[in-house]
Amino acid sequence: MTAIAASSDPRRQRLKHGVALLLPAMLFGFLVAAQWQGQPERSSIAVRYNTPLTDAAFALQKEQNDLKVQLQDLRTQLDQIQSNAATQSGAASELQKRIDELKAQAGLTAVTGDGVVVQLDDSHTVAAGATNLDQAICHSTDLTDILNTAWRGGAQAISVNAQRVVSSTSVYCVGSTIMVNGTLLSPPFNIAVIGPQNSVLGAFDDPNQLRDIKARRDVQGLGFRVTRANAINVPAYDGALTVRIASPQ
Amino acid sequence: MRSNAGGIAATAIALFLGILVVTQFRSQDVYSRSLQLETPASLTTLIANLSDRNNSLRDEIFDLRLRVAGARDSVSNGQGSLTESQREIDQLRVFAAVSPARGQGISVTIDGTFDDRAMSDLTNELRNAGAEAISVNDVRVSPHSWYGPGPERAILLDGKQLNGPWTVKAIGASDVMQVAITRTGGIEGQFELIYPKTRFTVTKETTLDLPAVAVQR
Repeated sequence: MTAIAASSDPRRQRLKHGVALLLPAMLFGFLVAAQWQGQPERSSIAVRYNTPLTDAAFALQKEQNDLKVQLQDLRTQLDQIQSNAATQSGAASELQKRIDELKAQAGLTAVTGDGVVVQLDDSHTVAAGATNLDQAICHSTDLTDILNTAWRGGAQAISVNAQRVVSSTSVYCVGSTIMVNGTLLSPPFNIAVIGPQNSVLGAFDDPNQLRDIKARRDVQGLGFRVTRANAINVPAYDGALTVRIASPQ
Repeated sequence: MRSNAGGIAATAIALFLGILVVTQFRSQDVYSRSLQLETPASLTTLIANLSDRNNSLRDEIFDLRLRVAGARDSVSNGQGSLTESQREIDQLRVFAAVSPARGQGISVTIDGTFDDRAMSDLTNELRNAGAEAISVNDVRVSPHSWYGPGPERAILLDGKQLNGPWTVKAIGASDVMQVAITRTGGIEGQFELIYPKTRFTVTKETTLDLPAVAVQR
């Protein structure tokens, strides 16, 4: 009896070691596979050209920021010349008054007032390789839908991450990068809406509005929140006016 | 001895697994956007867009420098700045959509099933292509315009019911806008996939006349 037990002990111990190693080995294999799949596939073209292309995009964005500063400076200079002239003549004063009204209508002056702030953000729980990634991140069409809802609710002035929404504003999406007014923007998107609070909130609360965004918020964790806010600042539009072909009649 | 060797082996595996788990967690970190993750084709499109915008800004800066100098000269010559003010008013009236507008451009006719969200996307695409003034069925799109679904497949523009077929007119550089809308993979191609029975026609126009916004806000 003792002899049998003694002879089976080493075998049993080897078996125990084997079983003990099997589980980590399987886990190891699983992790290696998951790790492999977790790496985004990058083509050799992407590896070679992405860095210089990304650098070029950032350089152009920086250049755009500098050009906007120059443009604002020149607009201020022109305003000052016209304002000074307006003090010297009644006709110039009338024109200056009209210019100020039109600038306000066109979104070329900053506005402060009560309204709502909408926050839109990618889900913070979705993994990079998730199959539902598309549903969990924000798209340019989400922003256009939100702007549409805000105007519908009676908004008087809107900005998206400090980019004033005007008649020439487009929300453009390339890959997963979003541009508003031709400026590169990243989530989270803060949409400042000045307007009658109850009416604007009512438009966002309407179950027929933004159904897709609301469903993705509830299921995929897309960040979407609308809050009442006071004394919101919506900056002036600082881009080009681009009225070169259309003439007033 | 065998027990020690097993223990060392198990420790080594455990350490290795620990490292792997940490690495895995980091690589599966929450999704974050980065230009570095874009394809070269997307980056090239982005660069072209940024470049176009910067050229527009440069053009306007050049123009404004001349206007500032001209206004200064006029004021110093005792002529005031009335001409410059009137020019600015003309530009702003178009930009704010408060005056009728005329110029070259394109017209897009849509005959068949279509909806308000698609119309909003088309408007957005035209603006991105540089449209300076837009109308739908001769109703001017304003900076504050919104679209909604209307009765019997109509589209609401600022609450006004527009029945199909729809004609969208956009004043701007007609060549640029036509290419932007009809390019391979562009919005017209996407619409043709989504609305296969709807007929889309994009035409370059020498002169378009668009009305002012109906109600000023």
